[in-house]
Amino acid sequence: MSSTTFSPAVPNRPRTLVIGSALATSGVLMFFGGLFALYFSRRADAMAWGTEWFPEGAIRLPPGGMNMATMALSAITMAWAVYSVINNDRIHLYLAMAITAVMGVAMLNQTVFYFNDIALPIDHSEATTFLFVIVGAHMAMVLVGVFWLGLLLLRALGGQDTSRNRDLVSAAALYWYAAVVVYMVIWFGIYIAK
Amino acid sequence: MTETAADTTRTGGVVPTALEAAVTTTDHLRIGRAWLASGALLLVASLVAGLLVSVERMDLTGMAVFGDVDSLFRFWSAYRVGLVLLVVVPVFVGLATAVVPLQVGASSIVFPRAAALGFWVWALGAAFTVAGFVIDGGLGTPGAVSRTDAVALTLLGLLMVIGGICCATVCILTTIVAGRTAGMNLSRVPLFAWSVLVAGSIWLVTLPVLAANTVLIYVDLTGRSAVAFGVEDTIWGQLSWAFSHPQVYAFALPLVGIAGDIVPVAARRRHGNHRALLVLTALIGVLSFGAYAQAAFDIGTPIREQAIFVVEAFLIVPLVLLVLVGLVDVLRRGVGSRRTRMPAPLYLSVLSVLFLLDGTVLGALRAVAPLDLLDRSTTGAQFTFTIGAALLAAMAGTLWWGDLIVGRVVPQGFGLASALAVAVGIVLVAVPDTISGFMGLTDFTGGDLGGAGNPESGVDVLNTVALVGSAHLLVGALGWLVTGVLRLRGARSLADPWGGHTLEWSTSPVEVTSESPLLDATVEAGA
Repeated sequence: MSSTTFSPAVPNRPRTLVIGSALATSGVLMFFGGLFALYFSRRADAMAWGTEWFPEGAIRLPPGGMNMATMALSAITMAWAVYSVINNDRIHLYLAMAITAVMGVAMLNQTVFYFNDIALPIDHSEATTFLFVIVGAHMAMVLVGVFWLGLLLLRALGGQDTSRNRDLVSAAALYWYAAVVVYMVIWFGIYIAK
Repeated sequence: MTETAADTTRTGGVVPTALEAAVTTTDHLRIGRAWLASGALLLVASLVAGLLVSVERMDLTGMAVFGDVDSLFRFWSAYRVGLVLLVVVPVFVGLATAVVPLQVGASSIVFPRAAALGFWVWALGAAFTVAGFVIDGGLGTPGAVSRTDAVALTLLGLLMVIGGICCATVCILTTIVAGRTAGMNLSRVPLFAWSVLVAGSIWLVTLPVLAANTVLIYVDLTGRSAVAFGVEDTIWGQLSWAFSHPQVYAFALPLVGIAGDIVPVAARRRHGNHRALLVLTALIGVLSFGAYAQAAFDIGTPIREQAIFVVEAFLIVPLVLLVLVGLVDVLRRGVGSRRTRMPAPLYLSVLSVLFLLDGTVLGALRAVAPLDLLDRSTTGAQFTFTIGAALLAAMAGTLWWGDLIVGRVVPQGFGLASALAVAVGIVLVAVPDTISGFMGLTDFTGGDLGGAGNPESGVDVLNTVALVGSAHLLVGALGWLVTGVLRLRGARSLADPWGGHTLEWSTSPVEVTSESPLLDATVEAGA
């Protein structure tokens, strides 16, 4: 009777980066959750009393819609980056991450232009304070994401992001999707519902 | 012990000075010690503020200590904010940073640089917060006479404190979730690690909400003219939810794990049902989510009169009672099995759960509308019981795991005496506040000069007792600090002084020479 030797089981690689990013992103989402809860509650109160929330004509849908489209497209390119790194497709990985980062910068540029254009003072009312805090915090979130993508791009150019070391890309993608989700709420709650 | 050699290898063989090593370290034991030492120092500062407030309460009409109501309010709010965000939470984070990686069988904390970053951000934020309170800032005042720039500094400090705690919490939680040794599933993790997992998760979903409040206030305050959130006499109202029921339970929750780990080892008996304790801890954590209970933003029926708040207040009591019953059951079965005296941390940890139960009972009473206790000094009593319980458990934890964290022993008697002084202080402060609350005394007594603490108010004797309690708390805190210093000079400790059965006691000395030990280990294993 022959004996069979089994090789030791390969331990699972702990996905610490993804788990850590998920935890940190959940904290960021709760930050925005708190802001949105207060925003919608105060807005509902103002509506119930029949008082003006935003000044008439101050918030226009097209700039918000453009930003939403940009963020939605960037979610797709981010998914493309994850797909590419899983398949060790470095050229597509470079392209996908660069396009995502450019879209993030475009979104920031559009927002800054729009807010300069409407020239709404931050201390005009409670609503404008909310507007600047929420949109400003989201811009900071996107800016962090753009820097993260830039770092990843440098690592990818150095050959460090491969299918075996893809966690940093997955973690960045998780964060980026959260930024897109937050903007969806901004788009609906501020630009559409006003 | 996992003392690191990384610092010397990074500097090319040059041995760093003690200061360089302290500032640049990524060793989880050193970072844990830094959290603990800072928390102990800030405990003394917070309790000094509390003692001064107690002295002022003896006769508020004279205002002999602070001179005006606004200054009194600043120190009163500094006491609460300090005890929670500068003392109890950091001390628990410190204990967890040092102990949890060993408990789950990880060679180090995950993201050690981020863990160090968390501490330094918190430390800088704590310095800003304290400075803000001292230079006439704080979190707004009833009379709106604070310096705006100093209030902004306090708010900035608070944001950094929250950021630092969240950063450290992410590292600890990731260690528990992804850094566990093979075979240790979540139902097998020691109770302290589990309680930190639950409490840390609640911190991660509630502290960012507090940060959102703070950012709104900061932006409005530093604008040309505050329109809503930055108006000084409303600031504390927007942030106070984080320092009262039910959120305070989340900050105190790791005490359940500390007691749950100490009692079975000390009593030489296993828990009757380990999984039941895990579930109870998780349920207490869920019920302690308090970010929704923001009375400053009430619309329609006040949130604290709604069913969710009342039901939550009552549900948490039997859960804590069940935890206490479980611990007492282990103790009962263990009586007679020990030949030696029970160790000091055992008494303290059980006492801490008892105090937490007192806090939850008061929380339930506050939710009974006809009693009208929501804004009475009962709020302060509940805070004292709950946060005092956490403090007592932290002292028990440092006595229990101190040998492991510092590598040196300390006489248990001195630590026990200090902790008992704190326990007596908790009772002497909380019980008079409870009675005063039923007599109609408001939570911030400075807002009610006529009924607060003058000789005709009827609560002057109670205020005297509370003053004695505050002094006890301060003496106990100083004793705790001295215990820590004595430990630094003590003899080298044994590997397992208690005969513990959890993994941290069986961990053999490891030299951590890498910044990413978990990653390296798996890469070497071919994963």
